[in-house]
Amino acid sequence: MKTIVLGVGNQILGDDGVGIHVVNELKKQIKDPNITLDNAVTGGMNLLELLLGYDKAIIIDAVKTNDGKSGDVKRIPLSNFSTMHSCNPHDVSLIEAIEIAKKMGEDKIPKEIIVIGILMKEIPCEFGEKLSEKISSAVPKAIDMTLKEINNKIKNST
Amino acid sequence: MKTITIDPITRLEGHGKINIFLNGQGDVENAYLQIPELRGFERFAQGRRAEDMPQITSRICGVCPVAHHFAATKALDAAFNVDPPSAAKKLRELMYSGYYIYDHILHFYFLGGPDFVVGPDAPAAKRNVLGVIEKAGVEIGKEVIKHRAYGQKITAILGGKATHPVCGLPGGVSKGLNKDEVKEIETMTKSCIDFAKFSLQLFNDIVLKNKDYVDLILSDPYQLKTYNMGLVDKNNKVNFYDGKIRVTDQQGKEKVKFDVKDYTKYVAEHVEEWTYIKFPYLKSVGWKGFKDGKDSGIYRVGPLGRLNAAEGMATPLADKEYKKMFETLGGKAVNSTLAFHWARLIELLYATERAMELIKDPEITSTKIRNPVGEPGEGIGVTEAARGTLIHHYKLDKKGLIDKANLIVATTNNSGAINMSIRDAAIGIIKKGKVNDGLLNMVEMAFRAYDPCFACATHTLPGGMPLEVNIYDHNKKLYKKLRQNL
Repeated sequence: MKTIVLGVGNQILGDDGVGIHVVNELKKQIKDPNITLDNAVTGGMNLLELLLGYDKAIIIDAVKTNDGKSGDVKRIPLSNFSTMHSCNPHDVSLIEAIEIAKKMGEDKIPKEIIVIGILMKEIPCEFGEKLSEKISSAVPKAIDMTLKEINNKIKNST
Repeated sequence: MKTITIDPITRLEGHGKINIFLNGQGDVENAYLQIPELRGFERFAQGRRAEDMPQITSRICGVCPVAHHFAATKALDAAFNVDPPSAAKKLRELMYSGYYIYDHILHFYFLGGPDFVVGPDAPAAKRNVLGVIEKAGVEIGKEVIKHRAYGQKITAILGGKATHPVCGLPGGVSKGLNKDEVKEIETMTKSCIDFAKFSLQLFNDIVLKNKDYVDLILSDPYQLKTYNMGLVDKNNKVNFYDGKIRVTDQQGKEKVKFDVKDYTKYVAEHVEEWTYIKFPYLKSVGWKGFKDGKDSGIYRVGPLGRLNAAEGMATPLADKEYKKMFETLGGKAVNSTLAFHWARLIELLYATERAMELIKDPEITSTKIRNPVGEPGEGIGVTEAARGTLIHHYKLDKKGLIDKANLIVATTNNSGAINMSIRDAAIGIIKKGKVNDGLLNMVEMAFRAYDPCFACATHTLPGGMPLEVNIYDHNKKLYKKLRQNL
């Protein structure tokens, strides 16, 4: 089974880049040729293109929430999102991109797409490379959850 | 007073918000678009190595990395007092054409186009790219996806990686092209020219042959008689990568033409207390509030701004389409906001034709692609981002580190006009407090045409409706809430 682990976000917008921090740590721990680790500052169609050809995709990303607690980490199947996008107001969402690709007969879409979401109340709008204390302390948990997710068998299709 | 809030804006994601204020009669009194802007760039940039700026700024936006990359690179050319070799300029412009190809295809078919191709009154659930594919056919859908990807591929071949180009260096580029790459780009470009022609034909058949649409384009609420701004070459033809900044008036006559290094002599910025976004205006005319006409310094950039600010396109097929647009819409200047979509397709055709000229140029495989840099100083760089004129301004210290940095992005250049377009569309469409989904979409169409850039990511957990309308009574108490699923 081929798996891609993708950190999504913007490294120069503080906490928004947390997914990339997580993947950079994972790169030190994972040396399995069946597991690809990469980062992306993009969304929608471009993001989908990066996922094509893998059986499973794990996206690690900052997730804005009104209800949850900042710094919590949640495992969220992609199908639970009504909208999802990153750094990219001009593109379609990943969910829309998948719908379009399916309609076009694309057969390389991963069977399972899981988001490991690091919750936060606000996505920063201020330039900076450092994570806040709260979000920084969520990184080990996100790493653990991702490692666990890599070993999970695919349960249901996206 | 009633307040109508549209939040968040559909399709144009990010947490933009439109507030429409109604008077006691339920008619529109005023309207404002509030969009978040990234803050703290100057402080962030200070003390960094200047040559890192093209990489850093390309991360500001996931869609326009190429525009920021080269605005920064050109600012560094100026700051290090170096003129790149001609082959390097051509490679940069070729890459830039690839960026326009994917960006304009994305906007027309995915974002702005659905309003026209599916129809402004179509149910919201159909007014998206899937609705376009349904109407035009799955085969067309495949062509859209394919050619968008070609544009990406062209930028990736030249830039190293499509999403974060690494090729731009002060004085040139780091990577040239080999013969295989030239062949690959040429094949893709040929196909893109045909697809651009097809797209204009589609626009012609679906939009221009429908009198209702043409009337809509020409209708009062969508007219805005501002000045127009864009880069032009020495023949006053549109150029995306380089040239002088030309400003024309409401009749298409040249108001001023200048080098970007002098932009502070011609452009000033107005500040309003309700938003971080600044409102640039022409200094010589002055800021007169949110008004159009020759006495107001507000100007427009982007596809329509560029076509109005020029005297034609530098390639034959696009120039023909350019003339057709101005003939059809009543001569210069075209002041209809909805004509941005048409202008965007004409620019798509130009980008493909220009890419072909460049890839066929024997110099494109030259290995002389960088000149040595001089002493660090101050530099200003300009490019035409897909959404309009983009300026990077850096001041370097003696060690080549950033001392001061400032960016003027396309959406900022358009911010005055966008607010007016929303207000005018709302005035024309919302009467006596009567609001429904179709009407609201007409208001959204007014600003979607500009394809404004909303800063930073927005990640939303499940639930939450993409469109929410809140109507408040005189006491600002919520009496009606409209929601729609998109």
